[in-house]
Amino acid sequence: MTDESAKIRARDVSVFYGDVKAIDAVSIDISPNYVTAFIGPSGCGKSTFLRCFNRMNDTISTAKVTGLIELDGEDIHADRMDVVQLRARVGMVFQKPNPFPKSIYENIAYGPKIHGFAEKKADLDVVVERSLTRAGLWDEVKDRLDDSGTALSGGQQQRLCIARAIAVDPEVILMDEPASALDPIATAKIEELIDELSGRYAIVIVTHSMQQAARVSQRTAFFHLGKMVEYGPTSEIFTNPIEERTKDYITGRYG
Amino acid sequence: MSPITLILIAMGLGLAGWLTGRAKAWSFQSSDPALRSASRPVYHAWYVALWVVIPVLAFITIWSVLAPQLVTQSVLASPAAAQLPAFGFERDAFIGEARAVAQGTAPAVFNVEAEALVAPFREAIGRYKIIGIIVTVLIALTCGGLAFLRLRPDFRARTRVERTVMMILLLASLVAILTTLGIFGSLVFETFRFFSFVSPVDFLFGTFWGPDTMVSPEATDPSRYGAVPLFWGTIFIGAIIAMIVAIPLGLMSAIYLTQYAHPRVRSWVKPLLEILAGVPTVVYGYFAALTLAPMIRDAAIAIGITSASTESALAAGIVMGVMIIPFVSSMADDSMAAVPGAMRDGSLAMGATKSETIRKVLFPAALPGIVAGIMLAVSRAIGETMIVVMAASPAANLTANPLEPMSTVTVQIVKLLTGEQSTDHPATLSAFALGFVLFMVTLALNFIALRVVKRFREAYE
Repeated sequence: MTDESAKIRARDVSVFYGDVKAIDAVSIDISPNYVTAFIGPSGCGKSTFLRCFNRMNDTISTAKVTGLIELDGEDIHADRMDVVQLRARVGMVFQKPNPFPKSIYENIAYGPKIHGFAEKKADLDVVVERSLTRAGLWDEVKDRLDDSGTALSGGQQQRLCIARAIAVDPEVILMDEPASALDPIATAKIEELIDELSGRYAIVIVTHSMQQAARVSQRTAFFHLGKMVEYGPTSEIFTNPIEERTKDYITGRYG
Repeated sequence: MSPITLILIAMGLGLAGWLTGRAKAWSFQSSDPALRSASRPVYHAWYVALWVVIPVLAFITIWSVLAPQLVTQSVLASPAAAQLPAFGFERDAFIGEARAVAQGTAPAVFNVEAEALVAPFREAIGRYKIIGIIVTVLIALTCGGLAFLRLRPDFRARTRVERTVMMILLLASLVAILTTLGIFGSLVFETFRFFSFVSPVDFLFGTFWGPDTMVSPEATDPSRYGAVPLFWGTIFIGAIIAMIVAIPLGLMSAIYLTQYAHPRVRSWVKPLLEILAGVPTVVYGYFAALTLAPMIRDAAIAIGITSASTESALAAGIVMGVMIIPFVSSMADDSMAAVPGAMRDGSLAMGATKSETIRKVLFPAALPGIVAGIMLAVSRAIGETMIVVMAASPAANLTANPLEPMSTVTVQIVKLLTGEQSTDHPATLSAFALGFVLFMVTLALNFIALRVVKRFREAYE
């Protein structure tokens, strides 16, 4: 399916770890207006593919990415594209909450400071409050901004990481199984948050929970053995999949 | 001679116990699972063997201390001893000589008076040797026999042997701890003897160091035992100059190795760097004394500093710093590697560059470990002896000029305790007081460093 207004457009993207092909010629258009979910069994390459969009695979020395990925029509592998700028535009939230061992305030202020978005304390205060509010964490932490980010509960840490990503005002937020290390209540809060953030940011979420994909996303891509098997509106994928393999996975026959 | 015979006998008896124990245990072997022995025969064998060897070895240890005294006593009780001088040096010399001849370690007596004692000594040594062997065999038979009688199919020899192995391991680790305590005790004892001549206040705060090792009225003059110049020299060389060299180089090489180096480069450079830690300090000493020190002096003279010395603190400090680099870098390396990769990814994914990530995330997170590494390095540097003995000066100057000669605590200890000295001279005793101070300072540094590392480790787990 081709979408003229696509935020991210990937064409024939393959990823190799040494000689092992982890992703095989995947093409996809990510819409700016929807939450897109990548589902599939463990090891199918969905996280690897997600990490292509902000070139995090560059940090793995054995990984090699081929094919074309465009952000707003710009090739992200072009020489003109600064990877540091790219990552400011495409934020990421990881599977395991990874706040820096700094204060809550410093965790949020980190991005704006390194990118020079806000220099003065007053400006930073505004960014910190806005980011934490959008991440639904402000009321819980406003009285202890100087406490360490690592002292928060797992769910709060993950929302802190989301707030940290929001603080640099990205266009896209990539989430790599953001709730898989959390309990059901914290998971529900994260899902609620994803819902609130959609529309403002293009969100791509990797999840191994089909229920989660069904709850939070409008578009779903099913990956299997490094290939994208099927991509379409979430309701279609879950109620009326075209491919036999998708149907088997959705109905729990394997995975 | 005698203890070796006894140990061989113990081993032989142990082997005999092992074989009889195993032989008995073989008879327990049964095809009926209900009657199967709880332990394999080899454990029964070891159980008997250990019950033979351990009591026998304990007896031999005690006996090797006790037997010579019993021999001497019995000789002194003999009529031949009546003609000995009553006390003092000669009496001891005669006894020693006669014993040596009787044991065969000396060819003949030097003093004729000792001649008469040789025969009683020979007789007494022979007698106690036989007693020793008999008691050894008796102990072996009693203990081994009792152990042998306890062997049954349901006897848990395996757990008994296991427990014994644990006790032996515990004993081995106790040896190290007890030795440390012993060293500490002797240091404290000698230090207190020194403080009976010179008050701790004069020692710790006096600013002139010049102990007179001769027997003279000045020997006990407290104003000659002011250790401040030595403490200052030690800190200046080991904790200031050496660290100015080691900290930046060590940290930067650790950052390069953990963050920038290609794995192949790292696999070459890291072992090479660690070789630095294995170079004998004497070799560093040569380098400091013969290569670097003249270079520094020439350079200083070339720019007009004529007072520069070949025994400058700078040369010793720089070489010591180089020696310390691997300590700083490997601790920094470990603690940066201990920072979870997720932390680094988090920062990179925010759009931080590699060096921003290192400066703002990795380095602060690893800081406690790095600080601990530096403290361990300092404690090693101030205790380091060979480089400073060779490159620093024996003269204790209180100065902040790195080109001047300076002395350290370790240099003075070596100087005071080598050559001829009398063990109750204050100058000799002052070496123990210096050692005590050094021991306490390095102990404190190590203790603090370990505490810091421990707290830091918990932060991520």
